[in-house]
Amino acid sequence: MTGPRVVIAEDTAILREGLAQLLADRGFEVRATVGDGDALLAAVAEHRPDVTVVDVRMPPTFTDEGLRAAITVRREYPGTAVLMFSQYVETRYAARLLAGGAAGVGYLLKDRVADVAEFSSALARVAAGGTALDPEVISQMVGTSPRAASVSGLTRREREVLSMMAEGRSNAAIAATLVVSPGAVEKHVASIFAKLGLPPSESDNRRVLAVLHYLRSS
Amino acid sequence: MNCMHPAQRTAAAARGTAARTPAGARAVARAVLRAPLDRRSWAEAAYLTAGVPLTMAGFCTVLILGLTGAALCASLAGVVAGLALLTATTVAGRGLATVHRGLAAGLLGRPLPDGPLPAPAPYAPGRGLLGRVDARLRDGPGWRGACYVLLRLPVALASLYAVAFFWVTGFYYLTYPAWWGIAQAVTGPRQVPAPISNPLPAGGVRIASWSDALAIPVLGLVLLLAAPWAVRLVVLADRWLIRRLLTGRPLSERVRELRASRAQAVDDTAALLRRVERDLHDGAQARLVAVAMQLGLAREKLAGGGPDGDGGAADVTRARELVDAAHRGAKEALTELRDLARGIHPPALDHGLAEALATLAARSAVPATLTADVPVRPTPAIETIAYFCAAELLTNVAKHSGAGRAAVGVVADGTALRLSVTDDGAGGAVLRPGGGLAGLAQRVAVVDGTLAVSSPGGGPTVVTVDLPLHA
Repeated sequence: MTGPRVVIAEDTAILREGLAQLLADRGFEVRATVGDGDALLAAVAEHRPDVTVVDVRMPPTFTDEGLRAAITVRREYPGTAVLMFSQYVETRYAARLLAGGAAGVGYLLKDRVADVAEFSSALARVAAGGTALDPEVISQMVGTSPRAASVSGLTRREREVLSMMAEGRSNAAIAATLVVSPGAVEKHVASIFAKLGLPPSESDNRRVLAVLHYLRSS
Repeated sequence: MNCMHPAQRTAAAARGTAARTPAGARAVARAVLRAPLDRRSWAEAAYLTAGVPLTMAGFCTVLILGLTGAALCASLAGVVAGLALLTATTVAGRGLATVHRGLAAGLLGRPLPDGPLPAPAPYAPGRGLLGRVDARLRDGPGWRGACYVLLRLPVALASLYAVAFFWVTGFYYLTYPAWWGIAQAVTGPRQVPAPISNPLPAGGVRIASWSDALAIPVLGLVLLLAAPWAVRLVVLADRWLIRRLLTGRPLSERVRELRASRAQAVDDTAALLRRVERDLHDGAQARLVAVAMQLGLAREKLAGGGPDGDGGAADVTRARELVDAAHRGAKEALTELRDLARGIHPPALDHGLAEALATLAARSAVPATLTADVPVRPTPAIETIAYFCAAELLTNVAKHSGAGRAAVGVVADGTALRLSVTDDGAGGAVLRPGGGLAGLAQRVAVVDGTLAVSSPGGGPTVVTVDLPLHA
């Protein structure tokens, strides 16, 4: 059995090769590695991968061409998931990326590759149509909207739970991290949904959508 | 003879001083006696003489152009022609100003003892016909040149008076007996044989006898002794006008320059930060991510993790390779960080410009020697600019000149610092707009510095950067 098919778009050669090696090592099937947005679109059209790992900043302008290519990929190839891969957290980029839906979308800091297992499981989750947002992305998105917190009256613990939900974690994982019982987490989640006026849901994606809904309402 | 010239009183006063301080008085007396024979006096007289017709012509040109232009503009019907004439006025103003400046620089030598004669800002044309007309109509130096030509009319009249009365009349008086004798021989006695030119407002001189005629040369001598000082007085007035109208920069121009240089400084800073960020992002940061990745993988191999790892010999070998790669990557990242840090602020600069330049010269691709004489430390900004100028100039030498040797020199006095980079290469370096040297010139201009290039074909090339000691 082969793992998810991957296309990597990263302009720094040392990272591109390292990433390809790492993913191959973890059982992914690396179909192509490219260095800019146009090449990414071409490679996706050719290989129809399950997931692409895309650097935000690539030639020729070194601003957001990776992001724009990723948004195009999400729009034109719904079967291809996208994991943005960046040295910076830029909440506006994350918001633009998630505007088209959170399914099959990830945004991770490049630092996360140091935790090989976690990184590859996040990539696998995204490839399977899930979501993976970097804790840094979430904390910035939640943290930069203090008005939202005060308006919806979330407690500190509820915001913690919300952040982890946004990362795409399950209730059990959140319970383990916070060292509380799964029941307590469920109560927090129900309370968050109630305060945001959203019906409870078991799907991770809908939970992320709830987070986005919350962030957009701020 | 009932005229007593001020110069005679001056001479009397000088004699009074002589009694008190013989040495000083002797110097004054020597100066007074030598002045008529001094080269400077003659140059000044020539300068004033040449200025008279020039001023007359310039005055008429500017007056006619300006007045006609203004009148046409006021009539509205002829506004286009009027504007054209006013434009011509500023063009003429600039042209005449250049001629006058050239005359002053040529004949007066160092025309302004309180500094060199800086030309006004060059004319900056606008775009299109309207832009060009607009730029001409707003051309400050052009208008000031026109003003100078108009105001110079009284100076020209005074020049005429000073030169004609003091110099010409002085000579005429000095040689008067000869003329008198000739006239006597031709016309017979009891006539007033040779006219006395007398531009003084009061009194007159009546010549009735040989004894009277012999007294006239004394007056001529006095006039000749006074002539250099009368001329110098007029030159002083002219210098004052030149200083006000033909050189220097009025505040508005200075403000414009400062605004441009501030924009330059801000852009430079932004560009520097952007470059540093780019270097970090693509360099050390990327390498460290790779290092973290390799170490993460290695840890998994050693722990027997991963989808098909068992922690066996193969995994250990692979882990060792990964650690080796990570080690290499970490060292490369360190090198990159060090270079980057040095690019932001060379640590050697902490010990002074001379030491930093010595390091720079030692690292130069083309062998370079350093001569440094910087007794007073400039401000850090100046040191940094001087350092990076030297660095870039040495890079230029290595890249473009084909030189075998280079020399860096830096000298400073109490107020200014001069950096020069010389090479024995092919020469032909020019300060081209948009070029690297022009970029350097712009950067030094931010702190009121200047950059000059001397690079004849075949070399040697000398680039000189003058900076104030304090930014």
